[in-house]
Amino acid sequence: MNLADHWLFSYQALARHRLRSAMILLAIAMGVSSVLLLTSIGEGARLFIEQEFSGLGSKMLIVLPGKKETTGSAPPIYGTTPRDLTIEDAHALKTIHSISHVAPIIAGTATVSNQSLSRDIIILGTNIDMFTIRNLTLKQGSMLPKNSESRATQVCIIGAKLAKELFKNNSPLGQWLRIGEYKYRVIGLLEQRGESLGLDLRDMAIIPVRSAQILFDSPALFRILLQLKQSEYETSTIVQVNKVISQRHEGKADITIISQDAMLSAFNKIIVAVTASIGAIAAISLFVAGILIMNVSYISVSQRREEIGLLKSLGASAKEVRQIFVISSLVITSFGTLAGLVFSYSIVFIIHANFPNIPLAIPWWSTLSAIFMSFIIALLFSWLPANKAATVDPILALRG
Amino acid sequence: MRLTDYLTWVYRAVNAQKRRTLLTIFGFSVGISAVILLNAIGESLRQYILQEFTQFGSHIVAVMPGKTETFGVGGLLNTVRPMTLDDAISLERLPAAKYVVPVVMGTAQVKWYQRGRYTDVAGITSPALNAWQLTLAQGKFLPADDILTPRDLAVLGHTLKQELFANNNAIGEKIHVGSHSFRVIGVLKPKGEFMGVNLDDMVYIPTAKALRLFNRNSVMEIDIFYHENIATEKFSQQISKLLISRHNSEDFTLITQDDMLKSLDKILRFVKYAAAGLGVISLLVGAVGIITILTITVTERSQEIGLLRALGFSSAHIRYFFLGEAIVISLTSGILGYIISMALLFIAQLFMPTMPIVFEPFVLMLTLIISVIIGALAGWKPASKAAKLEPVLALRAE
Repeated sequence: MNLADHWLFSYQALARHRLRSAMILLAIAMGVSSVLLLTSIGEGARLFIEQEFSGLGSKMLIVLPGKKETTGSAPPIYGTTPRDLTIEDAHALKTIHSISHVAPIIAGTATVSNQSLSRDIIILGTNIDMFTIRNLTLKQGSMLPKNSESRATQVCIIGAKLAKELFKNNSPLGQWLRIGEYKYRVIGLLEQRGESLGLDLRDMAIIPVRSAQILFDSPALFRILLQLKQSEYETSTIVQVNKVISQRHEGKADITIISQDAMLSAFNKIIVAVTASIGAIAAISLFVAGILIMNVSYISVSQRREEIGLLKSLGASAKEVRQIFVISSLVITSFGTLAGLVFSYSIVFIIHANFPNIPLAIPWWSTLSAIFMSFIIALLFSWLPANKAATVDPILALRG
Repeated sequence: MRLTDYLTWVYRAVNAQKRRTLLTIFGFSVGISAVILLNAIGESLRQYILQEFTQFGSHIVAVMPGKTETFGVGGLLNTVRPMTLDDAISLERLPAAKYVVPVVMGTAQVKWYQRGRYTDVAGITSPALNAWQLTLAQGKFLPADDILTPRDLAVLGHTLKQELFANNNAIGEKIHVGSHSFRVIGVLKPKGEFMGVNLDDMVYIPTAKALRLFNRNSVMEIDIFYHENIATEKFSQQISKLLISRHNSEDFTLITQDDMLKSLDKILRFVKYAAAGLGVISLLVGAVGIITILTITVTERSQEIGLLRALGFSSAHIRYFFLGEAIVISLTSGILGYIISMALLFIAQLFMPTMPIVFEPFVLMLTLIISVIIGALAGWKPASKAAKLEPVLALRAE
């Protein structure tokens, strides 16, 4: 029997029982599309985060004060150390050739007020390099002064939400704003960009880093952001940053350096693990579909006993009979899988076309494994019924 | 027709095709088990995390300097309105306050002769021993010195002690934390992690010393453990009132354990229901199985149905026969699925004794009800098909 014969035979058998074929097809398609659609949500989340990161500029290093030798622990997020990381330390990093931009950050909370309106928000003290590194742009007004690291100028740039809360519909440019005990002139308004990795820049004020040092009465930097000239320099730059800091800190490199790649791959690992386990849970439904295949195959074996007997008496071997049944369930499974693939990809396509903001993407690995799994299941679950068909005694079967 | 006749009919129908019925039941029960198991895993996870959070009791209020309306990191950042040790002292005077622990966290190099280790430093006060339920392996905990002028004493976590001293005696030894020197007076037993922070790889020093070490004027957080006989809201109001009168404005953030647990619980419940929702897909596929098999059965038995109709059975009777069969199959699946899940959970508990496994009778009831409903829905189409068969045509079929 060649492949075309097999195909014809299976097709006839399936077409004769349209309803049950359709139901198996439906069951397989449900299983396949639940795997694909659920993993597409996870993959979408992964892509979303990747995109957020690349929005930060791709060649960034983050320097945190403090260091921990505990294996596998989180980085020292508190950033409190006996030896502060200072603006001068950040300045010294500019001597490293592979670094193009250095943004020291002092962060703190304070009450910001304009006449009777006030708001408690996060204040970022930094310099103009911050705008390059984080891809921030101004909607109106002017940048922080170039000498933000050396002089405490009383100026600030504010986010859109803060501007709305404190100035209503008036233009904030040129107005005076009270932050803590000091007054700052608003010189710029940030372009609205929304949340960026947990920092709501719409509700923030940015002031020169030297002014922040005075405002919070502390020279300690919260972070230093570095931008590399080329991402290949990452490893060597990390070594050099440690060297420069330890020269300045009595031989102790008491800092932690996080690269953007390391952060991204940590996120990726977690999300892929979650996505894969959700996919695996969805795959249980393929298993249930497999049981249905087995059940229906048994029924068709017993309904087609006479036919099998005839085939066998005409010289078909047990192996050929087994093949007939296995192939027929593989055929219906491939239709079901195809239906599931078409359905899922079109759903994702339609959502993508209508709501471009919802990130959905079917990962290649889930597509492959869904196809692979459904064929394995079809094989496994049709094996027993096919065996039963293969052992049918032709004489008994023909006698009815 | 009497009920017993009806039941006998359904029983015979189910029994006549044993393998077919068993496979259908098995398929559907896999779906049921998926839902129950995922729900149970979600519930265990919820309880595990809540236990983690309530291990220090649930009567805790944390006060952090700075008031941010948008962000929850308050204490870590700088602030123009510091929260001081004097605030902690005045909070201690509240009659309902049991333990008050002002906390400063940071990292520093801890050194003993030539051996050094960069690790976490926790600035705390003596009530932390009871409040955080720490246990000593050796020596004593930080004594109840004056909060503002404590002595230079330190207590080491288990891992840190091993890293610095190995098997040497640590008690009474002088160590350096940053550039300050401290005398070790105690070593803690292993405690594990709390929210990603390893409590064993840590040196505990008095808060006032930590403030000086880190050159800070504000503590990061004041944890207040209070007596159980006062309502959370009342106590938080007392704290707010006291601090507002000291600072002349509400420049702090107050988080009660209750609030935190509530929002955490919300998230965890969502995760649990989402997990159970994933299981429902398998259940639906199982329902497709019931529909398919029953339809096949109806076709096979059309002759028999025709005979019954010819003998005067109404189409409603026929419908009930097949609906009954569907419900018996789904109900059995429900029970089987529940038994499978419980067996699997029981085995899981043998391997993970710390994971709480919850038996919810409510879930069993719900499972059975849902099984019956899905069974009835799945059986409806085939049963109607059977009911609509023309007796004459059905008899002629063969």
